[in-house]
Amino acid sequence: MTHYEEVKVHGYDEFCKAVSERKGKDIFAYFSGDKDAQGVSWCPDCVKAEPVVRGEMAHLPEGSVFIYCQVGDRPYWKDPNNDFKKVLKLSGVPTLLRYGTPQKLVEEECFKSDLVRMMFTED
Amino acid sequence: FFLGKYDYDLVIIGGGSGGLACSKEGKPWVCTKWGLGGTCVNVGCIPKKLMHHSALLGGAVRDAAKYGWSIPDKVSHDWQVPGSAVQNHVKSLNWGHRVQLQDKKVKYLNLKGRLVDEHTVVGTNRSGNETVLTAENIVIATGGRPKYPANVNVALECAGFLTGIGQDTTVMVRSIALRGFDQQMAGLVTSHMASHGTRFLWRCVPKKLEKLPSGNLQVTWADTGSGHEEWDTFDTVLWAVGEAPETKSLNLEGVGMALNKDTGKIIVAEDEATSVEHVYAIGDIGEGRPELTPTAIKAGKLLARRLAGVSSELMNYRSVPTTVFTPLEYGCVGLSEEEAERQHGKDTIEVYHAFYKPLEFTVAERDASQCYIKAVCQRSGDGRILGLHFTGPNAGEVVQGFALGLQCGATYSHLLATVGIHPTCAEELTKLHITKRSGLDPTVTGC
Repeated sequence: MTHYEEVKVHGYDEFCKAVSERKGKDIFAYFSGDKDAQGVSWCPDCVKAEPVVRGEMAHLPEGSVFIYCQVGDRPYWKDPNNDFKKVLKLSGVPTLLRYGTPQKLVEEECFKSDLVRMMFTED
Repeated sequence: FFLGKYDYDLVIIGGGSGGLACSKEGKPWVCTKWGLGGTCVNVGCIPKKLMHHSALLGGAVRDAAKYGWSIPDKVSHDWQVPGSAVQNHVKSLNWGHRVQLQDKKVKYLNLKGRLVDEHTVVGTNRSGNETVLTAENIVIATGGRPKYPANVNVALECAGFLTGIGQDTTVMVRSIALRGFDQQMAGLVTSHMASHGTRFLWRCVPKKLEKLPSGNLQVTWADTGSGHEEWDTFDTVLWAVGEAPETKSLNLEGVGMALNKDTGKIIVAEDEATSVEHVYAIGDIGEGRPELTPTAIKAGKLLARRLAGVSSELMNYRSVPTTVFTPLEYGCVGLSEEEAERQHGKDTIEVYHAFYKPLEFTVAERDASQCYIKAVCQRSGDGRILGLHFTGPNAGEVVQGFALGLQCGATYSHLLATVGIHPTCAEELTKLHITKRSGLDPTVTGC
């Protein structure tokens, strides 16, 4: 039994639904390129970052929410008009962010466990 | 090298412009109390420039009609919109600094620091718990906290953008505006504000501030000119005032540090050293230092390099350009006319000047009567430029490039030899030729 809730979603609509159902909570979101049938993402940086992020999840605040969001396939992501880019203003994957705050780590920043830990543990 | 005695090479108290710049050069320990970024990011330059821009856009919207755009008759402003956008931007800057510090392995602690002796700092957290740190060197970069009352350019900038977004604004000035700046230029800035809706109460000092049952504030003041007392009611009163360093909470007197008696600021040498060995001070807290972000940043970086033994370069505080972001912006670099006269004598300087009209003001039918440029030069030889002054749109952008010229020792001859970019306001600097001494009309005629 973990001290945080993990939610797995796929695509923008599912992401928004998960967030709206958890108003008032401290929500961390990790955005990754879709994984194939073998569980491997088309995004090599996402493959590299995921174990680093998962490795720090024990440091998530009590009662917080961790949303693992697969954004879509590579062509969808490359389209500059996709909802993640237009509405959430994501610039790249992987992105780890704290919803409703300017706190975010993008791409190579997600490889650094101390930065991930800093986001999970500091106010 | 082997450190031995102390926990850290360097401890920096203060996470503003100076403190952060210094910390990113080395591997020290930073304590801070505002969000990271200090005064500049959280409550200073950044929010100020964005609000100033907000107000300027109101003017641009009105001008747009004259350039063919269909603009509704009534254009209103909602303060909350830029307010929250600015807050979000400031928070993202705080986060950016936090990530940078972490990345550069700078240990950041959200504590209130005070000095115990020249090698020891005690940091206290919100719950009152203390942490003791020892360091080979200590840098104080805590800046200032607002005290009252005094008039600073910030007051004018605030009044300017508030008037620009449609607020009925009054500025009370004890003696002169923009103390330390060229007074002729200060006069142009305030005349412009007065003719565009800001009310000025010159030579007045506040005597009393009362909250009325209605919730409004009643201010009573003494007009030192007439000797009379007057009053008025306002929704909000803003003390946009000078700053005093937090020397007591830092315990500077306790460690025997020499401070200026009037300002309370730390007396610093040209290498930022204080009177206490191993303790340095950068940024606003230093006596006589310009209260500017870029000088604090540069001084911080150079100090860190000197302490690391990587360089011996000192900060050059001469010819620092700056801009006052009033509705009519004023940018300058070098000496004011008064200061040039004081240092060189009126007979050995030549002042070239011009009243010009920005092209965009013509179609917009805007008043350009305070748009003015002057170059204060040495009279002899090629006429070394001692100071440049410019009021007009984008003054900061205009003056920045000319500051490079002053660094290189530019002369009036160089200015004349420089071809202007047309049509711009900046080109008028290259066309200056009427001297104050000649008494001729300095108004530029069209091209």
